[in-house]
Amino acid sequence: MNTTVINVKNISKSFGKIRALRDLSFSVEAGSCFGFLGPNGAGKTTAMKIIYGKCTRDKNSTDHMDIFGYDPAKNELAIKYLSGVVQQEDNLDDELNVAQNLMIYSKFYNMPVKDAGERIEFLLDFFELSDKAKSKIRELSGGMKRRLVIARALLNSPKLLILDEPTTGLDPQVRHLIWDKIRQLQKQHTTVLLTTHYMEEAFQLCDRLLIMHKGRKIMEGKPADLLVQNIEQYVLEILDTDLIRAECRDISQGNIRIENAPGVMRYYCNDVNALKDFAACCMESGNYMIRQTNLEDVFLHATGRQLDDKQ
Amino acid sequence: MTNSESILYPPLHIRLYSVWYRHMRVYTKNLLSNGFPPFIEPLIFLAGVGLGLGKYITEPMGGVRYIEFLGTGLLVTTAMFTSAFECSFGTFIRLEFEKVYDGMLAAPMTVNNLIVGEMLWAGTKGFFFSFAVLCILSAFKIVILPYGLLAPFVGFLTGVMFASLSLLVTSFVKTINHFNFYFTGFISPMFFFSGVVFPVENLPDFIRPVTELVPLTHSVRLVRAVCTNMYEPILMYDLIYILGFIFVIGFIAVRRLEKRLVN
Repeated sequence: MNTTVINVKNISKSFGKIRALRDLSFSVEAGSCFGFLGPNGAGKTTAMKIIYGKCTRDKNSTDHMDIFGYDPAKNELAIKYLSGVVQQEDNLDDELNVAQNLMIYSKFYNMPVKDAGERIEFLLDFFELSDKAKSKIRELSGGMKRRLVIARALLNSPKLLILDEPTTGLDPQVRHLIWDKIRQLQKQHTTVLLTTHYMEEAFQLCDRLLIMHKGRKIMEGKPADLLVQNIEQYVLEILDTDLIRAECRDISQGNIRIENAPGVMRYYCNDVNALKDFAACCMESGNYMIRQTNLEDVFLHATGRQLDDKQ
Repeated sequence: MTNSESILYPPLHIRLYSVWYRHMRVYTKNLLSNGFPPFIEPLIFLAGVGLGLGKYITEPMGGVRYIEFLGTGLLVTTAMFTSAFECSFGTFIRLEFEKVYDGMLAAPMTVNNLIVGEMLWAGTKGFFFSFAVLCILSAFKIVILPYGLLAPFVGFLTGVMFASLSLLVTSFVKTINHFNFYFTGFISPMFFFSGVVFPVENLPDFIRPVTELVPLTHSVRLVRAVCTNMYEPILMYDLIYILGFIFVIGFIAVRRLEKRLVN
């Protein structure tokens, strides 16, 4: 049932002295959503670009790439033909209207005009853009442009959909609409590769998640498993560290782990009651929050809280 | 896993056509404003210099009336200008600002297809504007039909030739202002020293070899021969120069842009 459609082993990429990818390996099953999570400059986009032939990987005899049976270094056209790509920029043709933008791309896939017309009508409806079919690109909101770019990637009914930060900069309504559409596509057995730095997006959409940092894979797994395996279940966050009683600072309480970031103290623990007790005895007032840990905690724990020079 | 069934991605001619079609649709969306300069500028030049200055030129030039001499030359300069602008500023904007190529390259096409399609489009523009100016010239009996009907084909070759050159220039350009060197330093002087406005035969000896090296001279000689139906053996050399130029410069331009687009 679960066939592997993408198999990547030990690929690397350097831009001059910068090593954008180092021995990256992963595999993706048909119809699943595979996510790449990482800070800016981690190599997520480079990995995507190597898959659809916009980047070439470093020559290396031990590496291996199989994307639906094709190697991008040898068969870029075949891979591009069966994939839809949503890049970070909304690179639409401003001179043309919404439907014409899609029509131009249908020619790239050699779709017969009639089929293209029907497909465009369907996709505009799918993304709730039907009444904008004749609108100029300039008149569209950011969310509409984004939906149109995704619709464009779906013209040729791709087996593989590559989404490079599909919802960056969008409002929550549009984001949820796009998530919903991606889930619908997955039900129709479209394989999805997604990069994001929104933890919620990764959690909502991805069957498997690969966290990258500085061109390397640092962990991979199901989102829920990553949480369980890599971080305590609860965290106590104290934003105003001055409120912590002096005698409580830096005191390790049993199984509580302390993380001291500028301006914030975080106390991690699997036992929520231990955190409650700790907060009750250390804090003057109720100026703290106890919550479940999420992917962001895993992510920051794994990639560090400091910015590096690429961010 | 190996996939034995072959994917039927579009064949080469469809890929080239689809690039051409994209440029055609986007360009013709504002045809009037886009087409105004390449159509009107040669006519202004023809009226200003040909009718005004030309009155004082009573000697035939290159064997024909001055207005004919100038008019036929302008048939290819319009192709040169429209193609040079398209594949310098136009290409650079698509490449760097609008990121149009990034989107197109995610569809089943290679950089080679993209660039060659663009050169064919520039050639088409050369054809079209040569034809448009030809219509005016023939209406005023400056060019006699049907010989002149071959001129748009020279316009096509001129368009493709300057597309390949401009694309090569674009592959080096880091900021859009650098094109000033290309236009003011190369295209403008070529306009005056390639036999469009006056014959190159009477230029000083040290300039003559240069005029033979630059591309426009060959287009001009070819288009004038076509329009006056006076063919000479040197035209074979001109044709070979143009075709050779397109292949060699075009090849290098594709290679260089490939490095820029696929990194």
